[in-house]
Amino acid sequence: MEIAAIQTHGLTRRFGALTAVEDVTMSVAQGQFFGFLGPNGAGKSTTIKMLTGLLEPTAGTIEILGQPFGAGALELKRQIGVVPEGMALLGRLTAPEYLHFVGRMYGLDRETTNQRTEELLEFMQLANESRKLVTDFSHGMQRKLAMAAAVIHGPKVLFLDEPFEGVDAIAAGMLKTMLQGMLNRGATIFLTTHVLEIVERLCSHVAIISKGRLVANGSLADLHAGVVSTLPDAAREQRLTLEEIFLSIVGAGGLEPAQELSWLA
Amino acid sequence: MAGLNGVGPDPGAGALSASARAQYAAMAALRWHMFVNGLRSKRGAFELGARTVSFVLYAFMGLALGTMMGAGAFALASDEKWQFLPAVFWVVCILWQVGPVMLASFQEQFDLGILLRFPVRFRSYYLLYVVFGLADVSTIIGALCCLGIWVGVTMARPELFAWTALALAAFAAFNILLVRAVFAWIDRWLSQRKTREIVGALFMIFLLSLQLLNPALHQKRRPQPRTPQERIENLRRMETEFAPWIKTAYAVQQGLPPGLAARALRQAGNRQPVGALASLGVLGLWALAAGSVLARRLKAEYRGENLGSAPRRETSRAKTSSVRASLVRREGGWRLGGSSPIAALMEKEARSLMRTLPLLWVIGAPLLMVLVMASIYRSNASGHPFLYALPFYVAFALMGFTQMFSNNLGAEGAGIQLLFLSPTPIRTVFLAKNLFHFLLFWLDALLVGILTTLRLGWPQGVTVAATAAWVLFALPCCLAVGNIFSLRMPFRIHPGRMTRQRGSQANALSSMLLLLVVMAVGAVVFGLCRLLASPWMAVPVFLALAGAAVFAWLRGLGNIDRLANQRRDSLLATLMKTE
Repeated sequence: MEIAAIQTHGLTRRFGALTAVEDVTMSVAQGQFFGFLGPNGAGKSTTIKMLTGLLEPTAGTIEILGQPFGAGALELKRQIGVVPEGMALLGRLTAPEYLHFVGRMYGLDRETTNQRTEELLEFMQLANESRKLVTDFSHGMQRKLAMAAAVIHGPKVLFLDEPFEGVDAIAAGMLKTMLQGMLNRGATIFLTTHVLEIVERLCSHVAIISKGRLVANGSLADLHAGVVSTLPDAAREQRLTLEEIFLSIVGAGGLEPAQELSWLA
Repeated sequence: MAGLNGVGPDPGAGALSASARAQYAAMAALRWHMFVNGLRSKRGAFELGARTVSFVLYAFMGLALGTMMGAGAFALASDEKWQFLPAVFWVVCILWQVGPVMLASFQEQFDLGILLRFPVRFRSYYLLYVVFGLADVSTIIGALCCLGIWVGVTMARPELFAWTALALAAFAAFNILLVRAVFAWIDRWLSQRKTREIVGALFMIFLLSLQLLNPALHQKRRPQPRTPQERIENLRRMETEFAPWIKTAYAVQQGLPPGLAARALRQAGNRQPVGALASLGVLGLWALAAGSVLARRLKAEYRGENLGSAPRRETSRAKTSSVRASLVRREGGWRLGGSSPIAALMEKEARSLMRTLPLLWVIGAPLLMVLVMASIYRSNASGHPFLYALPFYVAFALMGFTQMFSNNLGAEGAGIQLLFLSPTPIRTVFLAKNLFHFLLFWLDALLVGILTTLRLGWPQGVTVAATAAWVLFALPCCLAVGNIFSLRMPFRIHPGRMTRQRGSQANALSSMLLLLVVMAVGAVVFGLCRLLASPWMAVPVFLALAGAAVFAWLRGLGNIDRLANQRRDSLLATLMKTE
């Protein structure tokens, strides 16, 4: 039996009286492009923070590549790459300096770091901006740099928290190409995003979290079948988009027209 | 504005209109809620306690300075020595202008930039910008100094009651507006790459000039006068040498705000009301000019200027691709040897420090003060060597490092995530930071030693050895406790700003307390050894203490990972907070 890239059992996180994530058990196979979806405040970022060691779970276990994962699992951290919510950039460095720093923090030797820095800056079209401090970068450029930093050590598992936010269509296309290449070489990608079209196009498997609990988990076809099975017979033939599946699972919010903000222009 | 449900400002309304007043009330409520919500956590309550203690300390400092200024003004006004009154005003002016830089990182300052998203009129924005700064330390101290001068002059010459009040009000307005204008512009320059590099270069030139200034002053050095006769001759010689310079400087300063304020009082005291009014008028013009410079800066902010650098024009891909690789190689500039994370972290610390003017300033400012203090001591010395000049000035220089020691993650910002994500233990991160700070302080101490030697002559060998031994004790102490403070009381440092930082009073107060303890230990050991007539004894005593301090530092370092992981959530939240 193949070892799962990511495996959680009863993952729970409480902040005082609030339970942000409750009893999440899921498995992501190696080589999968996994989409992790949920409405705002559902617990996506909390889950990804726990999976990457940025947040201690209150209960439950995490295994990455078959090994228990926690803040102290330093060797395992070499196997994962992360683009976290805040991007983890150091504003007072230039892009090459930042990538050099990250490479060395992940234990790469100087020669490899230099070579990969050069290639990544070229690929991300940031080589022209190598004198600029990261703090002076546009949001999209910062996203590209964060992505470059997340992959410089060649991780086997990549966690991406909203990686396409603020990125233009050209850059997004470039990033998708890079991610596809990683996937073809056997990497596992765990993605959270609000852009459902991206998930629909890239991900083979999807999990949906709502109010801290995992409410759906499976391939896109499984999710589609699950939702369609709840529809009346006459509607079962239609092809649902991921957005429709998502809304059907988590609910649209239940606002009646009368409750809408009628004073808005 | 009915189209937008009346939320916009009334077109004809001023800074005190009903809608503006409602916005001020909303701002006051916001500050109140932020204050109350801040007390929800233990840290917030601790911060309040620390702020109260700091406020009392600053108030005492202000009262002491105010009393000194008042006494000086009283003496000068009583004896009608008006020509020396500008000196009092200049001291207050310098305190007012330099204070915010020295204390910027120790104060919590509210960034009013968040108001720009709301329909706030420019006049209201300007008013709030000025008013919100009135509670800062330099204004409190400056105001108390002005109060002291007012009391002093009024006691000496009661008929000058109103004139003094007027002159001091204009002088205070000038200082309040100038300090805001200067720092608003510095923040602007620091926010753009080109201007930031220019300011950085100027700052480095300034520090280097400071070093070159000493040999220049040293050339003029003569043997210290020993007898009263020699001293009188020395004074006469200096008077002859410097008289033309002093005359020119005195004439120039009469046109500047401190000189104008003093001149207005002198003229009023000499019953020249027209002249006094004219001086006050010119002083008012200075205040107006400072206000206009501030307004120009705030207007640009108000219009929503982009503080980031303008994007560079795209060059053709073909043209640039050939130079990219070499550019990437060249851009690294210097590199520290080795691939280890410690080398990487130290290299990163050095690069970040060179680009963070607020931190450079806190390290560099004590050097300037050492130069000033050593020069003052030298000019006032009556032939007695200052035996403990070196340890005194080295200890003073250590003050500049307290912020770095006690908040060593503060400048990381969102980069703190990387430190937790990477496979490098946090212990290694702290070790690298501590080593970097250790080396940096030794460099600073060396500069202090050079400055002290140039101004006051060679220190005794025993003093050098004992000072070095004291540093070996003091640094591990500060680093060990600083590591804990960095994890328990961190605050975010905005590297692109001199002002509008969110400091932590609790951290500042605790680290200053630690520094005082370390200094007190040094003073006691130096004092006892001198009493016992065995100054060399200080060296082994400090070395023994240093051994204990290093042991404590290593023990602390061993627990850093555990503590960092316990505090991880709060660290990430605090250091990534955007307001």
